[in-house]
Amino acid sequence: MPDVLAILEQRGGTLKKVSHETLTAARHLADGLNGEVHALLIGAAEGSGDGLGAFGADKVLLAGDEGLRDYQADRYAAIAASAGDYPVVVIAATALGKDLAPRVAARLSGALAADVTEVRYEGGIVVTRPVYAGKAVYTLKVTGSPCVLSVRPNAITPEQSEKAGTTDTMKVEAAEPRAKTVEVKQPEKAALDVAEASVVVSGGRGLKEPENFGLLEDLAGALGAAVGASRAVVDAGWRPHAEQVGQTGKVVSPNLYFAVGISGAIQHLAGIRTAKTIVAINKDPDAPIFKVADYGIVGDLFEVVPKLTEEIRKVREG
Amino acid sequence: MTGPVRPAAIQAALPSERVVLQEPPGEERIDLDVVFVGAGPAGLAGAIELARLVRGDNESSGGIGEVSIGVLEKAAALGEHNLSGAVVNPRALRDLFPELADGDFPFGQPVPKESLYLLSQRRAHRLPMPPSMHNKGNYVASICEIVRWLGEKAQELGVDVFPGFPAGALLTDGDRVLGVRTVPSGLDRDGNPTSTHMPAADIVAKVTALSEGTRGMLTEAYREWQRIPAANPQVYALGVKELWELNRPLDRVIHTMGWPLPREAFGGSFMYPLEPNVAALGLVVGLDYPYRDLDVHVLLQRMKLHPLFRPFLEGGELIEWGAKTIPEGGYYAWPERLSGDGVLLLGDAAGFVDVPSLKGIHYAVQSGIFAARAIFQALKADDTSRATLGEYDRLVHGSYIRDDLYRTRNMRLAFKDGFIRGGLKAGLMTLTGGRFPGRKIPMHRDADVQRYAGGSVPLPADDPLVVSKVDAVFKAGNATRDDIPTHLIVGTDVSTDAAEFYAHLCPAGVYEVADGRLVVNPPNCVDCKATDVVGPRWTPREGGAGPAYKRM
Amino acid sequence: MKLAVCVKRVPDSEARIKIGADGSAIDGSGVKFVLNPYDEYAVEEALKLKEAAGTGEVVVISAGPDAAQETIRTALAMGADRGVLLRCETLPLDPLPVAKALAAELRDGSFDLVLFGKMAIDDSSHAVGTMVAELLELPCVSAVAHLSVTDGSGTAEREVEGGVEVVEFALPAVVTADKGLNEPRYPALRGIMMAKKKPLEVKEAGLEAGGLEVVSLSHPPERKAGRIVGEGAEAVPALIEALKNEAKVL
Repeated sequence: MPDVLAILEQRGGTLKKVSHETLTAARHLADGLNGEVHALLIGAAEGSGDGLGAFGADKVLLAGDEGLRDYQADRYAAIAASAGDYPVVVIAATALGKDLAPRVAARLSGALAADVTEVRYEGGIVVTRPVYAGKAVYTLKVTGSPCVLSVRPNAITPEQSEKAGTTDTMKVEAAEPRAKTVEVKQPEKAALDVAEASVVVSGGRGLKEPENFGLLEDLAGALGAAVGASRAVVDAGWRPHAEQVGQTGKVVSPNLYFAVGISGAIQHLAGIRTAKTIVAINKDPDAPIFKVADYGIVGDLFEVVPKLTEEIRKVREG
Repeated sequence: MTGPVRPAAIQAALPSERVVLQEPPGEERIDLDVVFVGAGPAGLAGAIELARLVRGDNESSGGIGEVSIGVLEKAAALGEHNLSGAVVNPRALRDLFPELADGDFPFGQPVPKESLYLLSQRRAHRLPMPPSMHNKGNYVASICEIVRWLGEKAQELGVDVFPGFPAGALLTDGDRVLGVRTVPSGLDRDGNPTSTHMPAADIVAKVTALSEGTRGMLTEAYREWQRIPAANPQVYALGVKELWELNRPLDRVIHTMGWPLPREAFGGSFMYPLEPNVAALGLVVGLDYPYRDLDVHVLLQRMKLHPLFRPFLEGGELIEWGAKTIPEGGYYAWPERLSGDGVLLLGDAAGFVDVPSLKGIHYAVQSGIFAARAIFQALKADDTSRATLGEYDRLVHGSYIRDDLYRTRNMRLAFKDGFIRGGLKAGLMTLTGGRFPGRKIPMHRDADVQRYAGGSVPLPADDPLVVSKVDAVFKAGNATRDDIPTHLIVGTDVSTDAAEFYAHLCPAGVYEVADGRLVVNPPNCVDCKATDVVGPRWTPREGGAGPAYKRM
Repeated sequence: MKLAVCVKRVPDSEARIKIGADGSAIDGSGVKFVLNPYDEYAVEEALKLKEAAGTGEVVVISAGPDAAQETIRTALAMGADRGVLLRCETLPLDPLPVAKALAAELRDGSFDLVLFGKMAIDDSSHAVGTMVAELLELPCVSAVAHLSVTDGSGTAEREVEGGVEVVEFALPAVVTADKGLNEPRYPALRGIMMAKKKPLEVKEAGLEAGGLEVVSLSHPPERKAGRIVGEGAEAVPALIEALKNEAKVL
């Protein structure tokens, strides 16, 4: 039976939203293969399987209890590999998925297409995935079986497609993991590194006073972002040098970059051109930053930013 | 109150006490037989020829044995700090690789057609090509590709190439050059070591060949230390260049004169198709212009909008940008001697560039070949003294390098009095094969020329073909870390006028004026050396800092 | 202490990527290739462990074309002792065949620790190191930001959602390195010279084709021109909408 195994993800026992994307991808493939989607959920609370039918799961396999709530690589990989005979396995390419997918592929001796952004069935499984830091895109046909696909988060829009969902409990064998997690510590450094962060909120002279950076710190907090600064404000001593977004085109490549009160006239534009999405907030509609930005709001940042922070918090909590 | 600026009056001196060291080599020491400083065409050709001579010698008994040859390069990878037009004469590469055919060399295409234009703001008037500029038999090329290719050849022959190792000082003993000391890396803005600190290393060699390229610091220091004069001071031009993917094919090599240069500035532009759809385009201006506010980068941006150029660029893509100075003094600016105890001067650093034909690469390669032959003889005789290494001077002076540059010895110098008079004189020189005017035309130092307020034009706003200095520096591949210690030595008493002069001078935006004061952004520097000629002194930074040219 | 580091030759992160004439691979001419940056952390960590142990060997292994010898030499110049090239003209995009070849090479080496970079910057599969560990049935910790090794066991730290995970394991084991694990040393002049003389064995990799077939390699769609979504604080909802559903970054 050409069924598709969708390995879902939970955190603290609750299903993560990205799992809907995984299911949608799995559903497309299962329809092409004329098979079912079986969703595997490890370490989740009872009842977590409810509602997954709405996203296309024919069957939900619940494995393990709170003992497996926290990710343990070896055990999760063993469970996934023994869940059944699946020609296709789909998983979200989250931090967890990036670790788990290759383990499952190796145990199944299967092909792995990692970080795919498109999944479709055209006489066979066809996927697209970015490479060279997004400078190029591969279109690939899956010729091997089994195969494991890890899907980039936010790339697939979840679709509802009602299926009858049944829930089974999967028997899980006790086993000693090869590598054992002994604790999860709180991170030491509070501040994210501007060069590493996937979301950056940067401020310039438009903030008028150093204290006003507090607005950006709030926005950054809501986004889980790093705070950056233009050279002008670093030179003025408002922000530490470590936050400066490069003046000589040092590439800062976040997924999302907010340029607040930065005109973009000098030094800043060059270094942020490879950011995936740039949002500019500036009161001057002719500011050069708007030429580089994907989205812009012309307005008073002292009004826009607090509202933005508020709305982002709502999105994050929802 | 604005007044004229005489750059020499506010320039800091070359820091010779730091650059010429009379101390024994330290503990971090490598011993080589020969070191070439600078992996450009001259240094690499020298290393290749020397390695071949050694190999040939060892094929019979009584051979010289193993000779360790190293080439130091300040860029992180070969080619990254090299920039040229270029249209290359293949003769020197044929001499270096007699077994190869032209098709094997790392050139673009053979020069298709050529045209020379006199530009006015809106028009381009065809001019007949002067004989000195004909490029039949030559090739359009990227010096980066040539250097990478030479680098591979050198390594195949067992030469050690060390990218990322700038030479910051000469090690000397008496009058002898013992080798060089590299620049330490991983220091912060205040000069304190960070976790990636690597201390300087001493390279000790029997012969140090200085192939540093234009305005080489060690070459300058050696000449000053040893008081080696020349008939005329060396003079320089600044070239700013862009590489473009074209909107439509270019079928010829183009040179222009006139607009956008103001009357008292010497120079011109070029556009060379490396391939029919990829062209190098640039503007070259002598640094003895009398204008305080002339900005070569801005002039190039305006030039691109001219009807001669625009149709090729519109809808195309700017691939790279860069800048470099060119030594233009010609024959009369050559140092009186090109060798010393344990040292030789090669290529652009020695001034082997012919301005009228715009050629330097093949002279650099040829000088490398001669250096290798002189070094080889010296090593065989176990005598690397000035007298024996002087064979290099004899080879250079007996060659076409000398013949070509002697014939055009006064050509560029004629233009010091302006374009029209210069043009007339140059015409006469060509007609008489160099015999007019019969004697050397004396030349001023660039830094002694007064600069008067004026000569500025605005950067055209809002045109997709125009690139600002900051974006240009990004397109040069410059990713120098922001907290690098400054490598520029600014003089004292820099007035607002002088600051303005520097700001317009530097194509990379290293200098800015804020509230009437000079602001310096050292990470922007792309090592063109214009600053060293008429502005703050340039010293080498840690390896890998600066531009990363790929196909310039 | 016997250590192995697996490295990959990749295009420099600043390289301009051109698609080759056949539309299925990049045009490598003129492209600057470097040692995969994440692998540098792995090499550095191995060197540090060997130095701390006072004795041992660091072997560098790479699967790739002939030119990958230069990449191995870079690691030798940093201080590794010898290298092995598993030669193959092109690497399949499916990581499993590469993992199998590396596992076969490592299996009988009696290594205490095998290190990888967490991912290669060209394909970003984030897979080969972990796969090798699974094939060899060894403990594996990926994306390690801190590592300490004592007699026969190791402790690694890695960033996870909400904190830093501390993992313990017995040797032999496999770790994949993340940025920040250490500060990789630059090869010193002497190291570069000595690297030429260190042994570098070349073998045929004999890779299987893998289970992925390239249909095409293309450039991503042009970055669309940006737009102003509105004025003032009222424009915020429209912005959020765009970021969520269009740009998909929220």
